[in-house]
Amino acid sequence: MLALQVKDLSKDYGRIKALFDVSFDVEEGEIFALIGPNGAGKSTTLKIIAGLLSPTSGSVAIKGRDLRRESAEIRKMITYLPEDSGAYKNLSGMEYLRFMSALYADDRTEENSFVQKGVEICGLGARLAEKTSTYSKGMVRKLLLARTIMSDPALAILDEPTSGLDVINAMEIRKIIKRMAKDGMTVLLSSHNMLEIEFLSDRVGIINSGWLHEIGTAASLKEKYKAENLEEVFEAVVTQSEEKN
Amino acid sequence: MRKFLILLKKEVRELLTMQVILPLLITAILFFALGNILSKEQEKTTLPIKVAVLDQDQTPQSASFQSVLQHSNVEIEQVQISNDEKTALELTKNENKTALIVVPAGFGRSIGTDQPQEVKVYTLVKGFSVFSGQSYGRLMTAISNVNEIFSQNILTSRLPNLSSDQAKNPIKIDEFTVVGTKQANLSPNIIMGFVSQQTSFIPIILFIVIIFSSQMIATAIANEKENKTLETLLTTPVSRNAIVVSKMAAAGLIALIASLVYILSFRSYMNGLTGGMKMTADISQVITDLGLKFTPESYLLMGLSLFAGILVALSISLILGAFAEDVKSVAGLTAPIMVMVMIPYFLTLFLDINTFSPTLRNLTLAIPFSHVFLAAPNLFMHNYFAVVIGIIYQLIWFALAVYIATRIFSTDKIVTLKLNFSRKKLF
Repeated sequence: MLALQVKDLSKDYGRIKALFDVSFDVEEGEIFALIGPNGAGKSTTLKIIAGLLSPTSGSVAIKGRDLRRESAEIRKMITYLPEDSGAYKNLSGMEYLRFMSALYADDRTEENSFVQKGVEICGLGARLAEKTSTYSKGMVRKLLLARTIMSDPALAILDEPTSGLDVINAMEIRKIIKRMAKDGMTVLLSSHNMLEIEFLSDRVGIINSGWLHEIGTAASLKEKYKAENLEEVFEAVVTQSEEKN
Repeated sequence: MRKFLILLKKEVRELLTMQVILPLLITAILFFALGNILSKEQEKTTLPIKVAVLDQDQTPQSASFQSVLQHSNVEIEQVQISNDEKTALELTKNENKTALIVVPAGFGRSIGTDQPQEVKVYTLVKGFSVFSGQSYGRLMTAISNVNEIFSQNILTSRLPNLSSDQAKNPIKIDEFTVVGTKQANLSPNIIMGFVSQQTSFIPIILFIVIIFSSQMIATAIANEKENKTLETLLTTPVSRNAIVVSKMAAAGLIALIASLVYILSFRSYMNGLTGGMKMTADISQVITDLGLKFTPESYLLMGLSLFAGILVALSISLILGAFAEDVKSVAGLTAPIMVMVMIPYFLTLFLDINTFSPTLRNLTLAIPFSHVFLAAPNLFMHNYFAVVIGIIYQLIWFALAVYIATRIFSTDKIVTLKLNFSRKKLF
C-alpha cells in the first residue's frame, strides 16, 4: 500500500495561486524529497498533507485514508516538523518529550516507550533536564526531530529539517533521518540543499512556482538532464519551466 | 479526556509564570498590609481628639463649653491665660495638638443675649488624607454638640413652657426606606452609605478580572505563535476543540483564582478603610429586613454573572488572539475588550442605567460586560430576573464567540490570520 498519495492538489491564498495540480506518491519506507526555490510551494504542500492547510482542490490519502474525511485518524499516523518551529520554553527537554509523547500514546506504557526512544534519538543526555530556553538552535532542532520520529509515525513530514544548522548538527540530523528510514519509516521532506537531498532521498520531486515538474531518483534525473549533480538538474528544470511560462 | 487533561496541565503551566504569580502575590500582600495599616489608623479615630483651649473668659459658661467638648471625646489641655493667641498657637503646634480653641473674654456674659458669640478654632492641618480630614470633622461635630446644648439652654430659659426640641424641630421627619416590596424605618442615606461601602470594590475587581483573563488567553495563543509551537500542536492527534477548550479552561481557572485573591485582598483593604463596616445591631437588622445583605443565592448569581463575563472575555479574546503574531501584539489586539469593559465600568460607577435614554440604555445593555457590572446593584434591588437574563445574554455571546473561535481553529485561518500591531510604526 502507498504510504502517501497526493492527487491534483491545488491551493489558492485569495487571488494568489500557490499550487497547481500537484500529484505524487510515496512508497512505504521511502524518503521522498520536494526540492524547489523559496516560495515554490514546498511548505504549502507539506502543510496541506500535515492537515494544517485545507487544499482548494485535490486529495491526499495516507495509507489509503482520505485526509479530509478521516483527519482525526490521520493525525495519529503522521508527525510534522515545521521549518521554523520551537519547543515550549518553560519546559525542560525531557518534559517536552513527555508532553508530546502523551499526546500520541494511548497509554502510559506506550508514552514511556516513546519518551525513551526520543531520549535516544536526540542524544542530548543530561541537558534534557534543562529548560529548552537554554538550548542552542541545533539542540532544539534535534529535540524537535526526536519528537517527530519517536512515535514511529506512518509518515514523518520534515520541512527543511536542517534549516539554519551548522554543518556538524546538520550531518547528525541527516544521519538520524537515514537511520529511521532504514528502520522502515516513510519520510516526506523538503529542502533547498541539493547535497542533503542527494544524500537522503530515494526519490525527488522538483517544484517551482507551484508546479511539480519532475519526479524521479537523483540518478535518473541526472541522466535525463545529462547533469553531474542535482543542482544542475534543478537549474535546468527551473529554466525550462520559466521558458514555458 | 486524558489528552485534554494533559493539554490543560500544559496550558496552566504555560500561563502560570512568575510574571503572573508575582504581581498577584504583590497585590495581595500590598492590599492586606494596607488593610491592616488602615484598620489601625481607623482605630485611632476613636481616640479622643487632642486640642488646646485658651480660655480668656474663665466663667462657668466657658467651663461648660469645655465640659461638653470633653463629653464629645475631645481631650482638652488648657493654655495659660497669660499667653496671647499667637503664643498659644505656637504652643499648640509644639504639643502636636489637632486644634487651638480660643474662648474670648465676655463669652459667658453675653451668652444668652441676641448676639451670637464667637469662638475661634485654629485647626492645624497635618495632611490632606481622608484620615486627616476625619479629625477636623469630629472636632466640628463636638463643637456643634456644644451649640446644640447651649441653644437648648437658651430656649428653655426663655420659653419655659415650650419643649426646646419642639421649638427647634416643629416638624418631625419619620424616614422610611422602601426597597422593592420591603420597607424599613430608617434614612436612605444610612442604607445607601452601607450598600455603597459593601459594593464599591466590586466593579474594580470585575474590571481587573475581565481584562486579566482576556490578556491571559490572547497571550497564550500569541506565545504559541511566537515560540513557533502552534503548528506542531495543531498537527497532533488532539481535536482542535480540545485545544480551544483547554486554553480557555486554563485561563479561566487562573482568572478565577486571581479574582478570589483580588476579592479577598480588596475586601481587607476596604475593611481597613471603612473600619470593618461597623454598624449597630439596629442598622444590621434593618439591612437584613430590607434584604440588602447578600444571601447565598445572591452570591451564586453574582458568581455566575462574573463567570459568564469571564467566559465572554475569554472567547472573544481567543478570536482576537488568533490574529496575534507575537506577544507584543496582544495589547493592541485586546483593546476592543478593554473598550467593551471600560464603557459599562465608568457608566455604572457614577450613573444609574435606569435614568439613561432608551437608546443609550439599550446600547449599554448590548455590551455583554454591562451585565456583570449591573449584577450587584440588581441583586441588592432584588431584580433577580434582570441578573438571570444578563447571564443568559452573556452565555449567548459566549456560545457565538466559541463557535467562531472553533471555526477559526478548525480551519487553516488559525495559521494564516495575522494582524501584527507591534510592527506598525507611527513614525
